[in-house]
Amino acid sequence: MRISTTRFGEIEADESRIIDMRGGILGFEHLDKYILHRQDEKIPFMWFQSVNDGATAFVVINPQIVKNDYYPEIGNDDIALLEIESVEDVVLMAIATIRSNPFKVSANLRAPIVINARKRLAKQIVLEDPGYPVQYYLTTSQSPGKQENTGRECDRNEECNTSAL
Amino acid sequence: MLILTRKLGESIKIGNEITITLLESKGRQIKIGIEAPPHITIHREEIFNLISEQNIQAAKLAEIEQGHLPNIWDELKKLIP
Repeated sequence: MRISTTRFGEIEADESRIIDMRGGILGFEHLDKYILHRQDEKIPFMWFQSVNDGATAFVVINPQIVKNDYYPEIGNDDIALLEIESVEDVVLMAIATIRSNPFKVSANLRAPIVINARKRLAKQIVLEDPGYPVQYYLTTSQSPGKQENTGRECDRNEECNTSAL
Repeated sequence: MLILTRKLGESIKIGNEITITLLESKGRQIKIGIEAPPHITIHREEIFNLISEQNIQAAKLAEIEQGHLPNIWDELKKLIP
């Protein structure tokens, strides 16, 4: 089928690629069908493109690329809702906030999009653990012992509020 | 806003699928139980607002910066340890 988008023109996508949101992206609850679109094979960023509204799309990235020890806990209710039967069914995507200053590019590790790739069902879940930032800067050092830019410095007000929750 | 007064242990029904029960109170905190079908998401309001705002901002910036993604990635690659 053809999906009309404002960014990529018309995309040809097989119906089997359509992902059904069970519980939409927070703030976009009226949109429930998306496709994962790789516009550029050379970069890890992909697009989570709304099928219902061609103008709405999110840049997403595999959060394990951003933080290699990212293993969020998915609750039993969500496992049931997304009909997840095994860990192989699960694909995680983090919504990225893109800015021209690379130090300000961040990924939302607090609320990943959990996709059951086998059943094409997804939900944006909000993790209980306040240790995962809503704005995790991609330039944050991942190795222990190096000087850490934790992204939670309190001179950036948004990080303070996040870690307090 | 509809305002109801309930005692501990009492409940409120919203539609026919959502039940809210007052479970316990301790000082200024109240423990609330919520039964709802799985497709209805339930979040503390401040978290809901925080995440929605981030999503909205991400969608806006995605539109503005989409042409620059490869360049931004080039710069990021040099900075990610």
